[in-house]
Amino acid sequence: MKDRYEDENLHWIPVLITLVILLPFVIQGLTYSYKYYLFVLNIAGIYIILTVGLDLLSGYTGLISLGHAAFLAIGAYSSAILVDQFGIPFFLSMIISPLIAGLFGLVFGFPALRITGMYLGLTTMGFGFIVKRLIIALREWTHGAGGLDVSYPVIFGYTIRTDWDNYYLIYFFAVLAIVAGRRIGKSKIGRAFMAIRDSEQAAEASSVNLAKYKMLAFFISGLFAGFAGVLFAHTNHFISTDHFDMLLSIYFIIMVLVGGVSSIYGAVLGTLFIVLLDNLFVPLLEDWIHVFFNTETGDIQSLIFGLVMFLFIIFQPMGLYGMWLKMRIYWKLFPFNPRKRFT
Amino acid sequence: MTELITGLLQESISGIALGCIYALIALGFTLIYKATEVVNFAQGELMMVGAYVNFFFVTTFISSAGEPTLWTFIVALAGSIIFALAFGWLLDLIINRPMKDEPIFSIIMATISLSIILRALVAIIAGPMSLLPISPFGEGVFSFGGIVISILDTFIIGSAVILVILFYYFFNKTRWGVAMQATSEDPIAAQLMGIPVNRVNSLVWIFSALVATISGILLAPKLSLLDTTMGFLGLKAFPAAVLGGFGSIAGAIVGGVIMGVIETISIGTLSFHYVWIKEINDIIVWIVLIAVLMIKPDGLFGVEKVKKV
Repeated sequence: MKDRYEDENLHWIPVLITLVILLPFVIQGLTYSYKYYLFVLNIAGIYIILTVGLDLLSGYTGLISLGHAAFLAIGAYSSAILVDQFGIPFFLSMIISPLIAGLFGLVFGFPALRITGMYLGLTTMGFGFIVKRLIIALREWTHGAGGLDVSYPVIFGYTIRTDWDNYYLIYFFAVLAIVAGRRIGKSKIGRAFMAIRDSEQAAEASSVNLAKYKMLAFFISGLFAGFAGVLFAHTNHFISTDHFDMLLSIYFIIMVLVGGVSSIYGAVLGTLFIVLLDNLFVPLLEDWIHVFFNTETGDIQSLIFGLVMFLFIIFQPMGLYGMWLKMRIYWKLFPFNPRKRFT
Repeated sequence: MTELITGLLQESISGIALGCIYALIALGFTLIYKATEVVNFAQGELMMVGAYVNFFFVTTFISSAGEPTLWTFIVALAGSIIFALAFGWLLDLIINRPMKDEPIFSIIMATISLSIILRALVAIIAGPMSLLPISPFGEGVFSFGGIVISILDTFIIGSAVILVILFYYFFNKTRWGVAMQATSEDPIAAQLMGIPVNRVNSLVWIFSALVATISGILLAPKLSLLDTTMGFLGLKAFPAAVLGGFGSIAGAIVGGVIMGVIETISIGTLSFHYVWIKEINDIIVWIVLIAVLMIKPDGLFGVEKVKKV
């Protein structure tokens, strides 16, 4: 008999944890420039926390957000201001700043009670611009567009300085976020979210309180993104409004989509895929292309990025996680595969 | 006070010209949305591509024939229009056909990645430098009792009006136009009535590429520099389309003009007289968008859709 709290996908978690602990040592053994890889992995870890939350909102509940970088910005700025200007300890700020971002999530989510689909995407995009402008307008605390230096995080008297420390700090919370996302997705709340996504009318008829759960989805998503923002501010040591561009929000949605909508592991895979693609493989390809064409660096990078996204969405709309599921079914049924199902 | 009123009038006119551009972009969105329910986030980039292609034609002719004449611009316009037709057809082939049954989420993402691709491609082909747009009208202005109107603005407003009249005629009086209306109303019923829905859809994409190209050609001389960030102006046409009610052609035009006027006057005179407007003038279109969606989600001309169980 399966336990109510048993989730077979969580059996992967010990493997994941050992992998996370061992990975930096493996990379260190393989190459001399391991510090750069560690830095890239740190970015990926922060984005994983955010995309898990975004997946709960956009994948599970079906509410598109094209302004999620704004939550990241709110978390980052509020933590930087709380710690450096109000002298609140870092671990308290880790609780307060996500809550602030979550409250902003309620503000973002308020229009979602009336509008859905791509109108909501536009509204959240508008909120993204407004938050960015708000940060510049509150220049007494945020130093406007000039950016803000952020102190090193201190946890129980220990100051976190190096990329190694950052790595373990970030991935401790990233694994926690994955487990939390998974549990939320399987809980009563997660099932209510999916009911809303599949049919609002049917959900309402089954006594799911639409307003409450939509707001809750935005709140939870804001919490995750705000937390990612706190880590971003304190491991990057410098934040400015340029870090939280509208394009970043679109990248986040693309990460969720490439990984596979409404699966937490999918969001994680998609985030790793996009961050590694953007930071490791594209520069390699670019060097190769530079032999033939002489162009500016950023352009070819975004061209390849756009092309990969485009082909992915057209040919593999289920995402990476969907590909994995297909493969798993394929091997389960191996000699007796029905034809044409796995094209 | 009179100073304020003259300033407002002055800016309203240049705002109407900008608004006509927004209206044309919004018209492109609306056409595609009505026919295929696809929201094309790459509309601004289509406009940018159009402006670049036109610039390319003009400079080629100037370098081969010397001084620009009226004919240079007309031939360049014709060349850009032919390009737009081919481009729209291609887009239908690569976006609309394969994405037909995908959820709306994926289609939005596909058009966004298309916009990333187009921006990068144009930047690679045209090189990193911004271009100085060439205006066929020079710097000429009219003057009416203190209010100055540039010839370019009048021309933009005039061509937008002509285009809208042509579209209106096409939609309501010709066979293909009526077929388009029928398809956007109900694709399945239209197909049963013998309308070639696929061909109508590619026609819609061709039309919206055409409108985008023309708006790009009109907008380019109004900008001081021509570069790839021009595509982001397309994002501002979204609030315009929503204000008018997404899916309504008259709404797109009225919404575009209103947004253009609001944006121009908030950047100009009003921000000199009221300090707080200065803080919000670059996001005012988004504030208006959110306000509209909260008060009247269907926009000014939209039809309320009620889904019943």
